[in-house]
Formats: sequence, structure tokens, C-alpha cells
Amino acid sequence: MTEVRDPLPASRLSPPASRVPPPAERTGAQVMCEALVRENVEVMFGIPGGAIMPFYHAMWEYRDQLRHVLCRHEQGAGHAAEGYARSTGKTGVCVATSGPGATNLVTPIANAWMDSTPLVAITGQVSSVVLGKDAFQETDITGITLPITKHNYRVSRAEDLPSVFHEAFHIARTGRPGPVLIDVTKDAQQARLVPDWNVTLNVPGFSAPAALDPRAIREAARLLAGASKPLILAGQGVIIAGAANELRVLAERTGIPVITTLHGIGAFPEDHPLSIGMPGMHGWVHVNRAIQECDVLLSIGARFDDRVTGKASTFAPRAQVIHIDIDPSEIGKNVKVAVAIIGDARAALCALLDQIPPRDAAIWLRNIRETQATHQHRQPYLRRPDTPELMPHDVYAALNAALNSRGGYRVITDVGQHQMWAAQLIEWRRPRTHITSGGAGTMGFAVPAAMGAAIAHPDETIWAIVGDGGFQMTNQELATIGQEGIKNVKIAIVNNGYLGMVRQWQQLFEGRRYSGTPLTGPSFAGLAEAYGLRGFTVDRIEDAEEAIRTAWDHDGSVVLDFRVEREANVFPLVPPGLSIGEMITREAPA
Amino acid sequence: MRHTLIALVEDRPGALNRVLGLLRGRGLGLHSIAVGDSEKPGVKRTTVLVDTESVEHTIKQLNRLIEVLEVTDVTNAEYVVRETALVKVHVAEPRRGEIKTVADVFGARIVGSSPQTVVVEMTDTPDRLGEMIARVMAIGACETMRSGSLAMALGGPTPRVNAVVAEDATRTWWSQADGIS
Repeated sequence: MTEVRDPLPASRLSPPASRVPPPAERTGAQVMCEALVRENVEVMFGIPGGAIMPFYHAMWEYRDQLRHVLCRHEQGAGHAAEGYARSTGKTGVCVATSGPGATNLVTPIANAWMDSTPLVAITGQVSSVVLGKDAFQETDITGITLPITKHNYRVSRAEDLPSVFHEAFHIARTGRPGPVLIDVTKDAQQARLVPDWNVTLNVPGFSAPAALDPRAIREAARLLAGASKPLILAGQGVIIAGAANELRVLAERTGIPVITTLHGIGAFPEDHPLSIGMPGMHGWVHVNRAIQECDVLLSIGARFDDRVTGKASTFAPRAQVIHIDIDPSEIGKNVKVAVAIIGDARAALCALLDQIPPRDAAIWLRNIRETQATHQHRQPYLRRPDTPELMPHDVYAALNAALNSRGGYRVITDVGQHQMWAAQLIEWRRPRTHITSGGAGTMGFAVPAAMGAAIAHPDETIWAIVGDGGFQMTNQELATIGQEGIKNVKIAIVNNGYLGMVRQWQQLFEGRRYSGTPLTGPSFAGLAEAYGLRGFTVDRIEDAEEAIRTAWDHDGSVVLDFRVEREANVFPLVPPGLSIGEMITREAPA
Repeated sequence: MRHTLIALVEDRPGALNRVLGLLRGRGLGLHSIAVGDSEKPGVKRTTVLVDTESVEHTIKQLNRLIEVLEVTDVTNAEYVVRETALVKVHVAEPRRGEIKTVADVFGARIVGSSPQTVVVEMTDTPDRLGEMIARVMAIGACETMRSGSLAMALGGPTPRVNAVVAEDATRTWWSQADGIS
């Protein structure tokens, strides 16, 4: 049988992108796309607009190699790129136009800066001829992002694009990762050139971390060997360096108990006998007391954030601190350090392992466990009379059971009470399974970041745990999830009708003036359905597990609206500005 | 405490902005900054006088900036410091002799004048400039323009290009200037 052929000559049909013959001369925008392909970028998140249109024009030819995900707000695009980056360790890419498009990226860029996330943000800029003339949608985005980027570039000569893109990706992912912004004028995107890909990195002011100092390693090994109450504080640096195994070997060889910071969660399995949990403002009593008592504290890739240290001058008063960090500027910033080891966490741990003799700290660990037995299991999750029966910790118990019985998950949390409960009440076991906005504390992070992680890991189930406040900041990305056919995002809203963490502070420290914190919203389940997702409302304890099971098994993305007790609090709590030894462990009797 | 830092900074758009932005963002008091070409093409050498509680930390933060190639704190090293001032004194003809006398005492020069004003130029330590300015202010209303301090350590590592000549020449010149042999 004769095949009916299309009457148009093949050359007039748009051919698959990979078969486009490489023209010697290209536009700046094509060079941008090719640069992304050369940096192994698979996906970018963005929104087009006037000044970035030539880039989108060129993107059409590269659509087989570069997936573009159209988001509903540039903030969503930025957080999605962060979720992609944090869940994979690769560099996330987001794209926006000039002016408001670019300024909407400021929050995710600041978030990536605070949380050391490798991110390249590409923004269009008005043409060079009108630059500086307050042109339509002109904003000095390189000026605006100066203090929140590792580096940024404004490119107005297309010839600079190959080297700038190469440098930007190198800087974003090397050493302590972070965001880099590339602002490209429209005329540079449109200019025609024969690109020179023979680029060599020329960033003399950006040196690779120096070789480990063997004296520091020896001194650290000596301190650890002689300590009677040693502790390990593991931060995100362990995860970024891929050093979880080395950490485990070190802990097991020495018997030193391991604390994981909020961002360090997953660096050490919490079901391990040496894991003692999270420190700091909402850390466990036994952990904070152990810090205040320890004589040697080995910090690996953690930066002594004030949420960890409390009042820094009173932090770990008896301890000699060994600080491993790839960023020399973190050494001695907040806490006095006895031994500084500057370098990659994995390399430093390997070097330490060569030097450190086996030892144990069983008595010390037993002391810590005794304190834990007295405090941790008597958390005062009080059920008040005449309140909804579903308590936040019921939701977390159900989530924890589901996550740890099934595996194949990642969890993105937002900012607030639900975030602290997630850190406390779920038993975390693997690196990059707990992703949150820590340093910047960006509400609205979870939903778009979960979307980015879901695109990076289509075979896994990505849970977003989010409050009703944070959910309503970026829930427009449910439309993106629908449009892209993303099936593996499961959103659990811990809905208490308040900006809960602020309300908790108002209750405890501000005489219960609930000023600006009561919060209403639409039916979140109805909203999810309106976006073409499934949505369920859950307000009874016995329905929680069933709802999570249904959501997990549903072949599509789901929103679960858990209506929980409105005034549950996060305990323990170190009041702001106090020492971590001074914890509030329960509500004062009314 | 006030520190005198010398930084080598790549001459790229926004580089100086980044240095200033970092100091402002970290809440540090900037007393003066002087910028000019270094011996290396495309690299500026700057002298920054900054009030900071932890100079070590400030230097580390500055080193994080991509364009900053090197930062040295010379505060406790042997170093020379120089600043140039231009002082416009509003003074009528009959009293110009007094300006000339002050200028001679301080090793300053009169570099220009108008019917109402005289412009005095002087290069010396910031303290000496202050003294001179105080003296001429007693004579007439002044407008001052100061360059900010330029600092240079006497010793230190040898520059790679023309190493021997450059270092010896520098040492000799400054030794004479400050009476250090």
C-alpha cells in the first residue's frame, strides 16, 4: 500500500531540533541556548517577556535538548530551579525578562544565596541604546542583586556570552555553591556572531579551595581523640560534598554522637544509634544540653546560624570547636574556633579518618540518652477542649509512617511551624530527602520547589509540607503542575488558619495580641480540583493515614488540606536572644 | 578599630560597587577609599580605611568577591601613608602672603588663584593635611578636596615583574621620604 505523503517538501516542515544544521553564524540568543546545552542543562524554569524574547525565539530550535517550564510567577520559577538544584546537586536555571520579571526573581536568588544553592538566573535587559534612560521595563538588576549573588554579569556584547556562561556555571557550582545572575541586553541576544567556544576560565579572584592543612587535620584528630564529651555537628556542607558515608564511618569509628542542623537533616540517618537529632531554637532539649556540656565540637559544613546557636556568646561554652568549612569567611564568624579546616567536607573527613584512632564515647552517649528519655517523649502537644480533633502531630505521625514504610520520596517544607514539626517529627534517613528554606526563611518556597524536584525525579514521590500561609503565597504554580502534567507532587497543607509561628510568638511573648495573624483561605481541595488536580480535606485522625495513602497511590498530583488544631505550638523553644540552655519546653499553665 | 587595607581589584564594571556594597551591607564604617591603576593592566589598587571589629573577617568577606584578587591589612605593618588635598581659600589680595607663609611651612604649593581665591595643594600624611587646613581656615573660608589615603607597606612580597628593581626602588624612595634608613 502506498503511503500518502505530505505534499510539502520536507525542507519546509520544521525539522526536529537536533537535525538543525549548525550554522557558522548564530545569534547571541542561540549562543545562550548552546551554552546551556554545553553546561548539561536539561530544564529551565521561566516566563518570557519583551527583553528576553530573542532567547525564547532561539529556544524553539533547542526544544529537544532544553526543556522550558512555563511558571506562573518568576518567584515560582526561581524556587522551582532551587528545588531542582537542591534535590539533584546540579545547577538550577531560571529565566525572566527585564524589570518586574527580574525583580520577581530577587526572593529566590536571596534564598539560594542564604542556603548555598547552585543557581544561574538569566534575565533579559533592555537594549544597550536605551540602557540608563529609564526605558520600559528597565531595572538595574545587577545592581539590585549585588549583595545576594556570588557574582553577576551584565552582557551587552554577544561575543562575551560563551565565556560569561561558562564562568557563571563554574562559579555557581564550585566551592560553596550559590546564585549567579546573567543579565543580557536584547541587542546582545539579537546580534549575529560566530561564537568562539574555545573559552578558558579566567577568574583569578575565584580560587579553588587550597589544599587541606595537614597540621589542622592532626590537631583536630588530637582534640577528638582526647575529648571525653565530643559531639559532631553536621550541616548542609556534608550533603553538598556528598560526604554522608564518610561522616558515618567517622561517627562509627569514634562513637561520637551526631547532631544534624536543619539543612544537615539527611546527612546522617536518624535511625542510627549515634544520631541524637536537631539542635537550636526548636531543637531537642537533650541536644542543646549536650552542646552546652560538650568539650569538643566538630562542626562539618555548618555555619553556626543564630537559629542554631541562640545567643552566640553563650554557645557551647566548654567546647573547643573544630570547624570544617569550604568558605574561609565562615570560620570564626559567629563562634570562636580552636581548629579551622578549610576545604571540602568529604576531603576533610577522609583526611581525618586517616589520622583518627578508634575510640568510643559510650558513657557520654548514655548521659545524653538519659536526658532525652526525660524530655523528648513528653512533648506537650496538649489537646484543648472543644477544638478540632486533628492535631499537627497526628498528621506527622501518619506522614512519617507512610514515608518510612514506602521510600522513594523527597520532602520539601516551607517556613513556619509546619517546617519545625516536619524536622522534629519525621525520621529522616537519606541526604537530599529533606529540603527547606532555612537561612532566608522564604514562605512560598515549598510548592514551586516541590515542582522543580518532581521534574528532576519523575520516578519519586515529592511531598510538599506547607502551612496555609505559605501555600497561599505561591499556589498559582498548581497551574504549572497541571499544564506540565506533573503527577508526582503531593502537597500536605497543615492548615491552622493562622500565620502560626508568628501567632505562637504573639501568644508566648506578646500577650496574645493576635495582630495580623488570623488567616482565611478558599477551600484548598476545591482550589486543587479547579486547577485539575485532586484535592481532599482531612479533619479526623482516622482519615489521615488513608488520605496520605490515597494521595500517594493516585496517578496525579494531589493537595491534602489537613485542618488541624489552630493553636498548637512548636516546643521546645529557645526564646530569641537567649542561650540554647534556656529552653521553654511547654506552655505555661493558663 | 580603624584599619588600613590595601586591595587589588580587577577593573571590571561594578567591581568597586561590590566592595562598597559589602562594607555597607556588613554595617562597617568606611572612612576613605582611594582607587587607581596598579602596575598590572586591568587591575586597580585601592586603599580602604574602614572601621571594623573583626578585620580578619572583613578581609575574608572581601576575598569572597570574585573581582578582589588580594587584600592586605597594613595597619600593624611598617607602611607609609600619603594623601593629597586641594584647598581653595577665599582670601583677598592683601592677605595672600599669609597663605604663602603657611604653605611654605607645610611644604605645600599654591597651584592656582582667582581674584577671590587661592588654591593650595599639599601631599602629606592625613594628620599634617589636617593641621595645614586648620591653619588656612583661620585666614579665610575654605573648600577642601582630599584624595583619601594612599598606603603602601614598606616590605612585603616581591612583585613578579621586574622584581629586584621594583622592590629596591620602592624601598629607597620611601626610606628617604620617611627618614627610615
